[in-house]
Amino acid sequence: MLSKPRGRGRPSPHTDRDRGGGGDARTPRGGRGDETPSTSRGPGSAQETPGSSWSLSASAPAPGARTQKQLELKVAELVQFLLIKDQKKIPIKRTDILKHVIGDYRDIYPNLLKLAAERLQYVFGYELVELEPKSNSYILVNTLEPMEDDAEVRGDQGTPTTGLLMIVLGLIFMKGNTITETEVWDFLRRLGVYPTKKHLVFGDPKKLITEDFVRQRYLEYRRIPHTDPVDYELQWGPRTNLETSKMKVLKFVAKIHKQDPKDWPAQYCEALADEEKRARPAINAPASLLNSEMGSEGLGQGSGTQRHRAKE
Amino acid sequence: MQGSTRRVGIMTDIHRRFLQLLMTHGVLEEWEVQRLQNHCFKVHDRNAAVEKLEDFINNINSILESLYIEIKKGITEDDGRPIYALVNLATTSVSKMATDFAENELDLFRKALELIIDSETGFASSTNILNLVDQLKGKKMRKKEAEHVLQKFVQSKWLIEKEGEFTLHGRAILEMEQFIRETYPDAVKMCNICHSLLIRGQSCETCGIRMHLPCVAKYFQSNSEPRCPHCNDYWPHEIPEVFDPEKEREAGVSKSTRKSLRSRQH
Repeated sequence: MLSKPRGRGRPSPHTDRDRGGGGDARTPRGGRGDETPSTSRGPGSAQETPGSSWSLSASAPAPGARTQKQLELKVAELVQFLLIKDQKKIPIKRTDILKHVIGDYRDIYPNLLKLAAERLQYVFGYELVELEPKSNSYILVNTLEPMEDDAEVRGDQGTPTTGLLMIVLGLIFMKGNTITETEVWDFLRRLGVYPTKKHLVFGDPKKLITEDFVRQRYLEYRRIPHTDPVDYELQWGPRTNLETSKMKVLKFVAKIHKQDPKDWPAQYCEALADEEKRARPAINAPASLLNSEMGSEGLGQGSGTQRHRAKE
Repeated sequence: MQGSTRRVGIMTDIHRRFLQLLMTHGVLEEWEVQRLQNHCFKVHDRNAAVEKLEDFINNINSILESLYIEIKKGITEDDGRPIYALVNLATTSVSKMATDFAENELDLFRKALELIIDSETGFASSTNILNLVDQLKGKKMRKKEAEHVLQKFVQSKWLIEKEGEFTLHGRAILEMEQFIRETYPDAVKMCNICHSLLIRGQSCETCGIRMHLPCVAKYFQSNSEPRCPHCNDYWPHEIPEVFDPEKEREAGVSKSTRKSLRSRQH
């Protein structure tokens, strides 16, 4: 954890522990040297005990000379990297993946990514998705439908800021998919949320909306030219389209107003058309954090969407 | 996996949801894990009987094996309650702690860790840790800031604080035992009973062997004349109680009943 080498012995939950290989038949003690996990960085990450049986070469072996185990470890590292990075909700850049994990295994990067994506899906239920075609940045989309009761057993209470995001997304859609920043604050002021005042729950709403949500790709924030005083326009970002849908947002807005989505015919039609578009490629749309906040209970694996699977 | 002695199980959405939610915690107590498992069964398969927790976890671990992570079970050093954490089995450049903290913060943790391991009691005083602030790698940190960082470690359950002194949280021991044993082989203490890493415990004043408090509790349970298992000398310390989850629950209930009675009187 502090970037120092560790043995692979698998301590059992029982009290008596075998310090060595833990009875793992496929890792003969003799060959331990080249099987100890290596990182992509060179000498900097090498073990502190050269000469001990733990030491391994400072750089990764030449392509072709890698063992099955080394490949497995690389995939494991990549899976962990993607999981941890995604927790911050910032899209993961290909360059970061190459720099921090892949390193000398660059020649097989596409395979490693594919294997990592498979494991993420099979083991954790997360789909690795490219944010936009050719963007070379990725997010994890949850293929499990979030349940309201999940909140009771979570360890991190989600993020309270999601509520604010929901409201802004709803506002944008209801106003025709684009809105000015001025309009956003006019609306939020009525809820006691101000750009210049610290908020008890949301902290710094201005930073959240114009920086954090934009960095996380939930929103797009662009300057409107020739405006004085300068104004900006806000639209849905690519992550929003991957994690939720117009129909889901409309249902959320309707729920807040205790009305029916059909009470907004224009938006309803637009949402329907969007559903149809998603249904055409017959892939299921992933559920996500956003949906659970909107309280969509068991809408099922909604409609498909044009997603760009992790393929390189 | 070639030659693996363990049969690899199958993941279903129950297991996936369990893992996803488990990962939102740094460490959990057994009752929390049980509650989580119940929740996941309820969501995906109401009618199925909830599998025995140990089997359920072993099943998941058989699949996590190829990813070099595992749901590990341990017990707390103070009262022997079972805890669970998802731990890394291979050291890689990627780690949860490394991504949550800055370079100087990680180095502060390392310094505290070393003081804790070297100490006789398993505790390092705040003063001693803060005095090392000038030696930290990375960006310069003031003592005031270091105090704040130590509190961050307590909140995220890497350290426990008791009266101005710090020791390792069960979570840190679960995650780092291997690393600690390898990095500080001469300084580490081991428990004479369970043979695992010992940070806090009791020691024999004659021969010096050490035991975890819960190991003492279990070993000397209903023994009116406790004697050192190594040198047979009289064991001079107070023998703690064995952890009983049932008693825990009852104590919790009676406490809350008492509280509500009190409030009604006002």
